[in-house]
Amino acid sequence: MDYRIRIDGGRRLHGALGNTRVSMNSNNLTLITGASSGTGRQIAVHLSQTRRLILHGRDSTRLLETRALCRNPADHVLWNFDLREGDEIEASLEHLIQADQLAIEGFVHSAGTLKIQPLRLVDRGAAHEIIDVNFMAALEILRLLVRKKINDKHLRGVVFISSTASKFGARGFSVYCASKGALDAFMRAAAVELAPDVRVNSVLPGATRSAMTAAMLSDTELRSRMEADYPLGIGDPDDVAWAVEYLLSDKARWITGQEFVVDGGRTVNITA
Amino acid sequence: MSDPGNSEFLNPLSLESRRVLVTGAASGIGRATCRLLSRLNARVVAVDVDEPGLESLDQDLTGEGHARFGFDLADVERIPAWMAELALAGGPLSGVVHAAGLPCVQPLRLLTPALYRKVLLVNTEAALALARGFQKKAVGDPRGGSIVFISSVMASAGASGAAVYSLSKAALHGLARSLAIELAPGKIRVNCVAPGFVQTPMFDRMSSPWDTQQRARVEADHPLGLGTPVDVANSIAFLLADTGRWITGSVLTVDGGYTAH
Repeated sequence: MDYRIRIDGGRRLHGALGNTRVSMNSNNLTLITGASSGTGRQIAVHLSQTRRLILHGRDSTRLLETRALCRNPADHVLWNFDLREGDEIEASLEHLIQADQLAIEGFVHSAGTLKIQPLRLVDRGAAHEIIDVNFMAALEILRLLVRKKINDKHLRGVVFISSTASKFGARGFSVYCASKGALDAFMRAAAVELAPDVRVNSVLPGATRSAMTAAMLSDTELRSRMEADYPLGIGDPDDVAWAVEYLLSDKARWITGQEFVVDGGRTVNITA
Repeated sequence: MSDPGNSEFLNPLSLESRRVLVTGAASGIGRATCRLLSRLNARVVAVDVDEPGLESLDQDLTGEGHARFGFDLADVERIPAWMAELALAGGPLSGVVHAAGLPCVQPLRLLTPALYRKVLLVNTEAALALARGFQKKAVGDPRGGSIVFISSVMASAGASGAAVYSLSKAALHGLARSLAIELAPGKIRVNCVAPGFVQTPMFDRMSSPWDTQQRARVEADHPLGLGTPVDVANSIAFLLADTGRWITGSVLTVDGGYTAH
């Protein structure tokens, strides 16, 4: 499946945001977590046009699929790891960096997990898992990437894939909302602490066409309801990827500590 | 996977064949925006009350088809008709950037209507009038359009003496949100860029009475230091171009971390 086809026939955009074509064929890489599926995969494919990546994912088969979709597949490094194993992140990441002498200049945390449960039925185990992957893993990885011993002073730009659930509530989403809220609060604190060497921002996407939402969107009734909620319609994953690429690029050199909502107007449409 | 043909030579920020109106074009953020947009191949309609400043802008622009107008945006009632005229003369507009703004630093006890009325007219009401002008059929490009209001971190932060400035800029966020919904069916996107303290002529005038200590404090309030006009112009271009095609009703804060700390 080619994730780069825009389903509604819209005009495709190609190329890099100005002179951001750096990194290729160098050892300066951008780490993207959750690259084996959903938004993470699509951001990875997009960023691979201009950057060398470390593709992180839990499922090795799907991770290989992502790499095959990327430009110059052989250039990208794989990190097959389960972020629920929080205590093992340090050893695994350190080993990966040191084995290949990698220098990580960009970090995109796109790994995320969701379990819809009414509050009265939330179990602590599932809640911990969501908080661990969506928030704690970002904290742990960022902590390691700014340690001189591990990544010298290579890190420059960080983008967290948050969600509009960080700002708004939805039934059954309590833990997910809390995890994204924590991620954004952490983002601001890290931005202040790591300035001016490292910039840290969040992108808050709405629903885009992807393998994950394909089932939802094939339901005609659900689809038309969702489309009514989005003043600009359901988005293309590339629309989110452009924002990520922009925030990582030097063009955004004076942007840090910000939440950038990219959602086709969904969250201002309070009547939806 | 094979490379898409010639992809490396296409700039996704390209504004080729788009005509964009920029207010406050003679100086600061507006001027840097005109300069950048011309390099992205847009045709720029530069507007400012400062006509000599506008004339000197010519040397900054590349490409052809640009136009400039001396116009006082405090004259809000005339804005929509004037936009219709300029669209008739030079072609429809794909974008509007409202970068014109008046500063206002006054303690509350001195804030008389005579002092603040013009600030509200230029900073806020002109934005509304520009949107009214833009949505007219003969003015906006039928392919769709993008409006960017330049607000300020003062839209969400507060400072003593900044009441009117803050009010004038916060109103832009509310305006953008509602217009985003109302204008979406017409393929018009509406967003704000909220800058922190940027080194512009307006900032220089405002900060001239400050002592070294006060200046150092403002600089320290920005974890990445003070910004430059081009830092803000980059984000304006991102929202005007197709890179921002799924973004509406958003505020992109470009402030060196001012509002994060």
